[in-house]
Amino acid sequence: MDDILLDVQDLTHCFRLGRNRTLRVLDGVSFQLRRGEIFGLVGESGSGKSTAAKCIMNILRPTAGKIRYLGVNTCDPGQFRSHRKLLQTSRQIIFQDSTSSLNPRMTVAEIIAEPMAIHRILPSRGSLRAEAAFQLKCVGMDPGCLDKRPPELSGGQRQRTAIARALSMSPELLVADEPIASLDVSIQAQIINLFKHLQAEHGFTFLFIAHDLSVVRYLCDRVGVLFRGRLVEMGPAKEVFSHPLHPYTQALLSAVPIPDPRRERARQLLDLDEVPFDREGTLAEAFPGHFVLRKEGTA
Amino acid sequence: MDERFTLTGPRTPLPPPPVKRPWHEGKPVAAMVTLAVIVLGCLGCELFIPKDPAYMDLFRPSEAPGPAFWFGSDPMGRDIFSMIWYGGRVSLLIGFLSAGISTALAALFGTVSGLAPRRLDELLMRLTEIFLSIPSLLLIVLLQAVLGKAGVVSLSVVIGVTGWTGMAKVVRAEVRRLRESEYVLAARCMGAGFFHVLRRHLAPNFFSSIMFMAVMSIRSAIAAESTLSFMGLGLPLEVVSWGSMLSLAEKALLSGAWWIILIPGAFLVVTLLCVTSIGSWLRGEGNDQGSNL
Repeated sequence: MDDILLDVQDLTHCFRLGRNRTLRVLDGVSFQLRRGEIFGLVGESGSGKSTAAKCIMNILRPTAGKIRYLGVNTCDPGQFRSHRKLLQTSRQIIFQDSTSSLNPRMTVAEIIAEPMAIHRILPSRGSLRAEAAFQLKCVGMDPGCLDKRPPELSGGQRQRTAIARALSMSPELLVADEPIASLDVSIQAQIINLFKHLQAEHGFTFLFIAHDLSVVRYLCDRVGVLFRGRLVEMGPAKEVFSHPLHPYTQALLSAVPIPDPRRERARQLLDLDEVPFDREGTLAEAFPGHFVLRKEGTA
Repeated sequence: MDERFTLTGPRTPLPPPPVKRPWHEGKPVAAMVTLAVIVLGCLGCELFIPKDPAYMDLFRPSEAPGPAFWFGSDPMGRDIFSMIWYGGRVSLLIGFLSAGISTALAALFGTVSGLAPRRLDELLMRLTEIFLSIPSLLLIVLLQAVLGKAGVVSLSVVIGVTGWTGMAKVVRAEVRRLRESEYVLAARCMGAGFFHVLRRHLAPNFFSSIMFMAVMSIRSAIAAESTLSFMGLGLPLEVVSWGSMLSLAEKALLSGAWWIILIPGAFLVVTLLCVTSIGSWLRGEGNDQGSNL
C-alpha cells in the first residue's frame, strides 16, 4: 500500500537503569499512519507516548523493531545517513514545553527561519525574514513579534512560534508531543483549532500525542491507546470512543467528565490502579479497522 | 443640574513621573574612560610621541623626568614617555590575542567534552586536570623553548594555550546543562551540525558565564607577559613592551632611578585595574540578561 507514510513495526524501547536493570517503556508497538490523516496516541503518564515520538524522530534509538518512513528504515544508521536530508526536512516535531524548546536568546524571526538556514534552502518569498513573517501570519500571530525573544512572548504565542518553525519546512509528517499540555484551556482550544485548520490547508500527516481524551476525540481521525508500553486498542476515533473494547480504554473513557450534572453524578469511575488490565495477547481486528489487544483463542 | 459639579467617573491616576536614571548609573565610567584613553593612546601613538622609542641617546642615560624626557630616560637613553605608548601596543596586543586564543580553545574543548559520551568526557576532563596541575610558568617556559625565539605572536600563543583550562571546565558544565534543553534537541532533529549548535544555541547561552573569565584572562595575559619579560624569558629587550621595560628594573633600582620602574609599573597596574573593574561589571550584566522581568 503506497498511501502509508509511516509504518511502525514492533517498536520496543528499553531504558537502562544502572548496571543490569532495564525498564521496558515500549513493548512491541505497531501502527501505521496513512498519508494525510491525524492519528492520536493517548495513554496515561509513563505509558511511553513521548518515547514513541522520540523513536520516530530518531532522537532515541529503539531497542528492537522497525520504523519505515516512505520506505526508508529510519532505525538503520546507513539508511538514515543516505536519506538524511529527506528525513530531516520532511519530518518535524513540536515539543510539549515551548519555554524550553525555543532558544531564549534568538528572535522569533531567527527561530522560524532556523531549519531553512540549516539546510540552506532558498526562501521562496525572497528573504528568510519574509518567510518567517509569512509563517507567523499562518499561525495567527502579529508580524510585530518577529524581533521579540521567547521570554517576551506568552505561552500560546511561544507554542505558535514552535508550530511556525515546524511548518516552515512544509513537512509531510508532523509529530506533536503533547503540544497543548502546558497551556491553559482557552489557549488549548485556539491551538487545537489552529492545528485542525493548518492540517486541512497543508495536508500533512499528523501524529498527535495527548492525554486529553476530549481533544483527541475532536481532532483525530484515528486513535491508538497505549497502556504501559503496549498498544491495547486502535481504530477510528469515533468507533473507539463510542464502543471501547479493551477494559483499559473503557476505564480511561470513564474518567472523562460529562458536561451534564445528572449524568455526571451517576457516572461510575473505574479505578485505574486496582483493575488488572490485560497486557498480553495480540492485536486482533474486532471490527473493520478497529483493533483490540486480545489473548489468542478468546473471542 | 448643577453646573459646578460634573460627573467624571473614577479618578484616573496620573502616570508616575518618568524616573530619569543617569546614563552612567552602575557603570564603571572611570575605568572605561581610563582604559579607552590608554588603548587609544597606544594605538595612535605615532601622532603625539615626541621621540622614536627605539632611538638610544647614549649621552643621556637614566635621566630623571624633565623637559627633555617627560618620563625620564632608561639606562640606554631611550625616552620612556614614547616607550610607554609604543610598548603598550605590544602588551595590549598580547593580552587580547592570548585571551582570544584561550577563550576559543576553552569554548571548543568545553563543548566537545560537554557533548561527548560519558567515557570520552571523563577522559577529556582528566586530561584538563593534568594540564591544570602543571605549574603554568613551567609549561610556558617549556612551550617557549619548543617554539624557539620569543616574538609577540609566539608569546601570545604560549600564554593563550596555557590559560584555557579553568574556562573550559565552566563551559563544559554549562553545555551539560544546555544540551538537555529541547531547543538543542529540536535543532538536532532539523539536522543541525555540531558547529551550528555551538554557534547558535550553546555559545550565546554560555557566553555570559565565561564573559568575566574571558576579560580576566586579558588581564592575566598582560600580567604573564610582564612577568616573563621581567624574568628575561619573554620578549627580547629590543621589543618594547611594558614587561620588557620592567625587566630593566634591577639596574634601575641599584642606581636609584625610580622612574624606570614606577612609570611603566603604574601604567600596567592602572590598565589591569580598569580591565578588572569592567570585567566584574560585565559579570553582573551577564546575569541580568535573559531573565523574564
